[in-house]
Amino acid sequence: MKAYLTYFKLKFISGLQYRAAAWAGIATQFFFGFVYIMVYIAFYDSGGSNLPMQLSEVVTYLWLNQAFLALVNQFSRDQELFKLIKEGGISYELARPKDLYFMWYFKIIGQRLANVTLRFIPLIIVTALLPYPFHFGLPSSFSHFLLFLLSLGMGTLLVTALSVLYPIITLLTMNEKGIVNLIITLADILSGIVVPIPFFPIFLQKISSFLPFQYISDLPFRIYVGNVSIENGLFGVVIQFIWVVLLILFGHFLMKKNLRRVVVQGG
Amino acid sequence: MKIYFKSLGMHLKGELEYRVNFILSFLSQILVFFTYYFVILALFTKFDHIKGFTLYEVLFCFSIIQFGFSFNEVFARGVDRFDNLIIQGGFDRLLLRPQNIVLQVLCSDSDFVKASRLIQAIIVMIIALCHLTIPWNFMRVFTVLLMLLSSCVIFFGIFLMAASYCFFTVQGLEVRNVFTDGGKHMAQYPIGVFTKGFVLFFTFVIPYAFVNYYPLLYVLGRTDNLLYAFSPLLVLFYLIPCVLVFYWGMKRYASVGS
Repeated sequence: MKAYLTYFKLKFISGLQYRAAAWAGIATQFFFGFVYIMVYIAFYDSGGSNLPMQLSEVVTYLWLNQAFLALVNQFSRDQELFKLIKEGGISYELARPKDLYFMWYFKIIGQRLANVTLRFIPLIIVTALLPYPFHFGLPSSFSHFLLFLLSLGMGTLLVTALSVLYPIITLLTMNEKGIVNLIITLADILSGIVVPIPFFPIFLQKISSFLPFQYISDLPFRIYVGNVSIENGLFGVVIQFIWVVLLILFGHFLMKKNLRRVVVQGG
Repeated sequence: MKIYFKSLGMHLKGELEYRVNFILSFLSQILVFFTYYFVILALFTKFDHIKGFTLYEVLFCFSIIQFGFSFNEVFARGVDRFDNLIIQGGFDRLLLRPQNIVLQVLCSDSDFVKASRLIQAIIVMIIALCHLTIPWNFMRVFTVLLMLLSSCVIFFGIFLMAASYCFFTVQGLEVRNVFTDGGKHMAQYPIGVFTKGFVLFFTFVIPYAFVNYYPLLYVLGRTDNLLYAFSPLLVLFYLIPCVLVFYWGMKRYASVGS
């Protein structure tokens, strides 16, 4: 366990060095947050029937999305791992007397936590000071806030378990573009990064509830804004936990299977 | 011009060498860009209109922007990926050749996989136009063509501007996305739905409004003012500062060495 935590620390500390990149990221996310919110404001101004969320809820949701984007998104992949696979560095990894799956798992989680640590605080502070309608709101209650923290933690474990799968699939396909890109695109839509899940057409909401993606960030963010009751939120956290366990078991199994057929590139 | 088409053909041949990969990427791109349309489709299941514009009007508006953007991604990929030329020092090589520098940059790369997005934009535009009841006449058709043209022109200008950024620094390149992707995201809706500040910004600073808002009003019959119909032509003037900035940056260019 200690060795894995060292991997985590290593990635976390080196990730914290990229401060200039983080500022650029914050600026970009701030702007995009604004743009998305403007669109929703225009829609809400035009009126609609039985809307699933109030405007202030949507605004806070979108800011949370931007603030924690580095943690919860699928599209930023760990290029280092793909490079290992494509250029043969994986042979060194295999020589190490540790479980490769968990080595990668802790690397990814360290990287993601480092990226988000640099980004979310300035974004939240600035947006909390903005006037209505751009204002980033407080959590709907203290218990909602605690549940949000728990659920976001689970979401982090979940997104990591999914992210490890992509290099594992690449072990077999040798190309991270085709199938992996398809999965990532679907995952990003279904995790609510593009549009919050309650705005989906009903049939897609149904499909999505059987998949792990909406439990990454949509659930914690909706708990925060109070769109999900405490009871449903707790139930959601249990589902998150089940998905984390299932995906880690699956990833571990798939890695073992794929490693039997791995081809080392380069010399 | 002949050189450009020749290099385009070479890039296409190069890409087709990896045929399976090309087809798979082509298909996956279609899905990737479907996400953009998905936002609009999803929101319109809950809302009937956005400030008076209906689903198909917005889709039409958006497809114009997507068309111009992906047109440049395919045919002006070299400008889009200009940072590569600078970072790897390839730009020095281009400077040595006795040819127009912008032309050479254009020839340096192209990406036919992105053609999937171009085709998608055209299909969406046709679907949208079929669902709209527009009293077609010669002037309206002409305006739509002008919109398509100006969309290609504006993104070429923006790409060129973004490329000039690389002459000064190659750090924080994602800041450029604010102007390309961010502006593009807003311009997918008729600009008029936003607050006045944004309308002015997208009229006078980055003139998206001339591409798909003012002419859109004419095509949809919201106004009969012919100035609105010809407004896409103004975008041509936008090219002038973009080209000037590029040449100005080039004067300040210091090679990265190697």
